[in-house]
Amino acid sequence: MATHHTSDYQTGELKSRDLSYPSGGGISYKEVNEDVVRTMTQTGKWYYLALAGAVSGFLAFWILPWAYQIYKGQGVSGLNTPDFWGIYLTNFVFWIGISHSGTLLSAILFITKTPWRRSIYRSAEAMTFFSVATAAVFIFVHMGRPWNFYWTMPYPNQRQLWLNFQSPLMFDVFAISTYATSSMIFLYFGSIPDLAAVRDRVTGWRKQVYSALALGWRGTDSEWHWLFKAYTFFAVFIIPLAVSVHSIVSWDFALSKVPGLAKTIFAPYFVVGAIYSGSAGIVTLMVIFRKAMKIEKYITLNHFDKLGMLLLVMSLLWSYINVVEVFTGWYANTSAENETLIYRMFTTPYAYMFWLMIFTNTILPLLFIFKKCRTSILACVVVSLGINVGMWLERYLILTTSLPRKFLPYMWHDYIPSWVEISMTLGSFCFFAMLFLLFVKLWPSVSIYEVKEDIGIPMRKGGGHH
Amino acid sequence: MDKAVLGLFTYADELLDAAKRLEGSGYDITIFSPIPLGHEIEHKLGPRKNHIKYFTFIGSVAGLFFGLLLTLGTAAMYVLPRGGRPIWSITPTLLMSYETTILIGVFFTLASFLFFSKLPSFSRKIYDPVINVDSFGLLIDGNLRGKYDEVERILRDHGANEIKRVEETEYNS
Repeated sequence: MATHHTSDYQTGELKSRDLSYPSGGGISYKEVNEDVVRTMTQTGKWYYLALAGAVSGFLAFWILPWAYQIYKGQGVSGLNTPDFWGIYLTNFVFWIGISHSGTLLSAILFITKTPWRRSIYRSAEAMTFFSVATAAVFIFVHMGRPWNFYWTMPYPNQRQLWLNFQSPLMFDVFAISTYATSSMIFLYFGSIPDLAAVRDRVTGWRKQVYSALALGWRGTDSEWHWLFKAYTFFAVFIIPLAVSVHSIVSWDFALSKVPGLAKTIFAPYFVVGAIYSGSAGIVTLMVIFRKAMKIEKYITLNHFDKLGMLLLVMSLLWSYINVVEVFTGWYANTSAENETLIYRMFTTPYAYMFWLMIFTNTILPLLFIFKKCRTSILACVVVSLGINVGMWLERYLILTTSLPRKFLPYMWHDYIPSWVEISMTLGSFCFFAMLFLLFVKLWPSVSIYEVKEDIGIPMRKGGGHH
Repeated sequence: MDKAVLGLFTYADELLDAAKRLEGSGYDITIFSPIPLGHEIEHKLGPRKNHIKYFTFIGSVAGLFFGLLLTLGTAAMYVLPRGGRPIWSITPTLLMSYETTILIGVFFTLASFLFFSKLPSFSRKIYDPVINVDSFGLLIDGNLRGKYDEVERILRDHGANEIKRVEETEYNS
């Protein structure tokens, strides 16, 4: 029987193991190269249709309404006293949340040497970067005068003004720009060996582009050694960074005194919610990605089984924190807190949203107790989409049921989003889809060398070859 | 100009045996592989140092001080009174410094990786594209005049399925 060997990470000793890839079938190293390069070079009409749809949607639903808003002013949105945050900030938090699983999960699974990470992490990391980009654009949308964004950058200037570093919004600027930069570095440097593999297989303009991107990588033991050491440090940095980013996003709200927002539990609540929605995002994306790119043998039902378990755990954690959030407010029994809770949980239309959120985020994921559901593509799609609908509603409810019910009843005013805001929300999904579609054609979206590691190291002693 | 010898192997254990044998005989060797063989190489040829950690540490400490200087320094130079709150506030200072610690630490790690791995490198070097697919390579470089036959015999004895005499101009990327 053909055997491969894998090394014990602690002792460095070589151990033989069964050749079979998690998908069940033996895959050769050469096949991995060919399959991944094929996803980049062979393009069907469905890809172009999808890309055209995403680009059109991005232009029609996001760019045009945004141009209209810039021309007419922020008044065309539903933002008004007392709720100046509304859907724009909902989308910002939602997309930051989606970003939280890709790189964070990849880093955690890398540090813990979890094998099932290897074929999904590249596209998950890309998902992180693109969702951070989408979230960042919502800050500009929400600014009203986006051309003044450079006022948030610390540099000596003629205005003789420096930033107020005590504002949570400045924490955001630093945390998100650090996260976006680190995620991009993590994604790029982990891809260098694969960019070199692509460089060796393509011709024409692609050859030039990938030769530059691969930085002259040859696969020497020295290059691997330093890459592995640096990559480990990147992973170690990413984990606390990701936790800090969503904690800081939560403090945009929790450092206020507004009932419904001023909660000490918000930081862990947001971090758990972010990992939860991000993991669900990975599941949805992987279902589409593996089918469209015909790479079912790399992203297998085993991956969905593991991700399903993760979603189940995150669902229970999220539900627990949600219960704590509601019950501490209820136990405090102050009129302002009670009003916010009643407004959110028992007043239409928010009550429908709240109980739908509880259904999709607490009840529906319980299906994943059963392995049959975790390994069913249909169940994975339904549950993961449901979770992200629920997580979007969670952020919407946080922002639209607290600010409109602050301490003074004469200021109460219901928030109703305008068509401009709803359109840009749809447009953000098109923007994300456009970026991801471009990514799968321009970047090796499955890690070639790590899938090969998963297949095993070919050894003469103990058997044949893959 | 002397040529180097590149042996291509199908099996990693044979490559490592050949590498150990040639290194023991005093030849300069470079191992090529399509996947990281770090643990296997260290197991066979001995542990290697990790200098990157010092740069990461220095970068992180520099980032911490940069964050402190940025927040406390600018607060002192451009005083913004806010309803009796302290000008030098500990919590936001630590938060900003936390982020800059990570950011500068990442930059230093990145720079040290590029420095030690000698990347980017676009000059012509010995390389064979099959290495990035499914072959392991062992390059023997240096003054090989009069020793080619011995080197090639060792490679062949250890299972090399292809042996080439190559020059740097044959770099193919």
